[in-house]
Amino acid sequence: MTNRLKVLVGGVQLRDGVGTVVDLVGRIATRAGLHVLASERNYASTIYGAHQFDPLLICEEPPLSHGDDQVDILVALEFDSNPDAPQQPNRDTILRHGAHLRDGGVLLYDASTGTVPTEALEARGVRVFPLPARQIALRELKREVVKNMVVVGALFRLLEFDMDQRYLRALLEERFARKGQDLVDLNLRAALRGRAVVEEVLRERGWPDVGYRLEPRPGGEPMLFLSGTDALGIGAIQAGCRFYAGYPITPASPLLEFMDRHLPAYGGRSLQGQNERESIRAALGASLAGARAMVGSSGPGISLKVEEFGLAGAAEIPIVVVDSQRAGPSTGMPTKTEQADLRMAVGAGHGEIPRIVLAPSTLEECYTLITEAFHLADKYQCPVFFLTDLTLAEVRKSVPQRFFQETKLRIVREGVLTEEDLRRDGFRRFRLTESGISPRIFPGTPGGVFKVSGTEHDEFGFVTTDPPKRKAMMDKRMRKMETYLREDARGPQVYGDPAGRPALVGWGSTKPVLLEAQERLRAEGLEVAVVQITHLWPFPTHLVKPVLQAATMLIVCEQNYSGQLADLIQERCLLPTRRILKYNGRVFYVSDIVRGVRQIVRQGITEVRVAEALPVAVEAHEGE
Amino acid sequence: MSVQPAARASASKVWEENAVPRHRIQWCPGCGDYGVLNALKLAFTRLELVPHEVLLIGGIGCSGQIRNYLNGNGFHGTHGGPLAYAVGVKMANPDLRVVALAGDGDTFAIGVENFVHTCRRDPQVTLIVMDNGVYGLTTGQRSPTGGLGQDFPEFSEEEPPPFSPLRLALAAGATFIAQSFSGDPKHAAEVYVQAMEHPGFAFVNDFSPCVTYNKFNTYDWFRERVQPVPADHDPTSLEAAWELLADFRRRGRSPLGVIYRSPRRRKAQRRVPMWPQELEGIDLEPMLRAFR
Repeated sequence: MTNRLKVLVGGVQLRDGVGTVVDLVGRIATRAGLHVLASERNYASTIYGAHQFDPLLICEEPPLSHGDDQVDILVALEFDSNPDAPQQPNRDTILRHGAHLRDGGVLLYDASTGTVPTEALEARGVRVFPLPARQIALRELKREVVKNMVVVGALFRLLEFDMDQRYLRALLEERFARKGQDLVDLNLRAALRGRAVVEEVLRERGWPDVGYRLEPRPGGEPMLFLSGTDALGIGAIQAGCRFYAGYPITPASPLLEFMDRHLPAYGGRSLQGQNERESIRAALGASLAGARAMVGSSGPGISLKVEEFGLAGAAEIPIVVVDSQRAGPSTGMPTKTEQADLRMAVGAGHGEIPRIVLAPSTLEECYTLITEAFHLADKYQCPVFFLTDLTLAEVRKSVPQRFFQETKLRIVREGVLTEEDLRRDGFRRFRLTESGISPRIFPGTPGGVFKVSGTEHDEFGFVTTDPPKRKAMMDKRMRKMETYLREDARGPQVYGDPAGRPALVGWGSTKPVLLEAQERLRAEGLEVAVVQITHLWPFPTHLVKPVLQAATMLIVCEQNYSGQLADLIQERCLLPTRRILKYNGRVFYVSDIVRGVRQIVRQGITEVRVAEALPVAVEAHEGE
Repeated sequence: MSVQPAARASASKVWEENAVPRHRIQWCPGCGDYGVLNALKLAFTRLELVPHEVLLIGGIGCSGQIRNYLNGNGFHGTHGGPLAYAVGVKMANPDLRVVALAGDGDTFAIGVENFVHTCRRDPQVTLIVMDNGVYGLTTGQRSPTGGLGQDFPEFSEEEPPPFSPLRLALAAGATFIAQSFSGDPKHAAEVYVQAMEHPGFAFVNDFSPCVTYNKFNTYDWFRERVQPVPADHDPTSLEAAWELLADFRRRGRSPLGVIYRSPRRRKAQRRVPMWPQELEGIDLEPMLRAFR
């Protein structure tokens, strides 16, 4: 197979360099004109010691989704820190993922502290390559860190890729430009040592190759290898975000780090709050002062900010709130994915406020839709929730550079009065308007003074409990949502014609999987439509219902327990839904959806809860 | 800085525009907050501030209402939040004059996290706490400073001794710490002026008696116990500040005036870009570079 394969790299978190290997391979394959998709990063909420595994899909054309959990090439980086008393056997990755290795696949593992019995795998045609990577690094190259490069060198040889070390050398020279040529040479030597081991095994076993190849496709347009968080960060800064506040929390911390690194260069400020509340309060302060402001967090942090959403709604302060959802409730599973905060985004807080909820469904939409989030926050002067999740935050992918540079953005700060406007019209901060949108000013504008409060207020912002004034102000605020539905709400993305067919309905990061499931079902002779809802609140019933009601049945696929979007659809559209739900911390695989749809369509089941098969041990005779 | 008397009178009027008229102010007659209001007008006038450049951030409680009783931009958020909002405002636009006006409950109970860390962050924000030892608006529950000067035979979790905001501020690294008494608005105004001229976070604890719910710490009670900071006190010395507080505490007295002032070297900051022409057409290359 050329230019289509899935590699899974596993090892002990932090120690074995899973991330390093994946990043290196991803970058180099991207530079070689191939498309890389790494949409799972399976790490644990510890720093050191847990089992980590990152699958990486490499294709010639952009892949629809990460597909299934089958892998073509398994790279196991574990070794025993003490071979005399093995505590962490160097077969963790093999035991856990060996069952997912395709017949005829490849196993490359660190054999520094002994070989592993792999007869069962070999019986399935798996080609096994024991590689004493750590031993080579320690004994021959005298630097343990280069063991990752030994592995990369071996992997590239397996794939007959970069045999002249052109790509590897270029990357190393850039990376170690300051540290010197010696380091580059050492790493290249390490890669060659890895290659030599693979060649020895090939010769011994008489295998001409392993059946998988990567072939560079040079000459294409320049590509970037980046994460959903990176795309969101670039998009936010381009959309005019000049104030960001966060508090360390998985999986939203990388956004804080991105903003820390880049905002100052654009004249902005990025603040690590002392807690989640300080973060959003500071952001609201910055927004009040005129900055386009954003906060980012995950479930637990969002829960802590809820009181301020009410303030932003009542005092009409624009704010973009990124919620990188993770598995809840409470601390939940900090490093596992889930989509269970929709209800919170739609309804959290006491009282009622205008609010907008958007959910990007791909890395690309993290970039494009965040622009819309800032525009809507400005225009409607309310909190705009941007629901990503761990999968979207951490997915890494090859994206054409052109994608980011082509968008030349015009920024409009709607409703903001200047000194000149004030001289002409005077100013009532909470003027009762037909659209519900009142004029605002940035403090410091000559001729304008505002009084802004989360306490109920009159048009001037002064406190009131007078029933007519209260009603008028409440109506004015909520009227903004009617204006939004009329002017800015967007209908669902529809793939295939739902008329007379079942429709798979989803939101957020699951779209690519639904699209690939659609293809696979088509191959089985079952046509389904895919309906993806990005604009979730205020629920655009007038745009969604006509699409949904054409379908013969609605199968809502979500990564949560209750089916939060399904409930929302039933509530707003009065249409029955069937559900495929997964909440075990893993992403949806295409096979989950295909199997679920079959059960629902053919067996009349209304709700499928995806369960993962227990890990299967590879070795039948462990003790031998 | 000195203003002609006539100009001063009309300038003081400036601070009554765009505000709730005096006759509709909803504080109890005799409330200590009136003294703070008068002192603020004096201070603003003396500093020749312009209302549209001022942002008053009120806390929750009776004292926070003060933002509406004065001209200038006013903001009122959630309980305990004023300083955190202030940090964001100043980061976005350092040119604004930001004054946080809150009570002791807001600042030292529900907002103590922000108080401590704002002392560290040191934004150029003036905080005036109207300290009366009670939650007035909710009818007189005790606050963290409640029980000042009272003799307690014993304590419990429900009824702990009061704590000292000045000592907390000093421990948290505040760069300007002062105390005033709303029974002496002229002196208070002088303290406020110094606080607002401080190039960092300035904390003024103002004894502002609650005439309705605190029958112990009354105007007369304070008058007997407040004493000016001695003329020979060196406010730039941290040791001297601790010593002064210990000395007053030993004598059962409360100091009025500037207790500590030690400006920190701060990085110069500019207003963040906010107008479309400042935001459009940026170069993405510095961000994209890392992903090749």
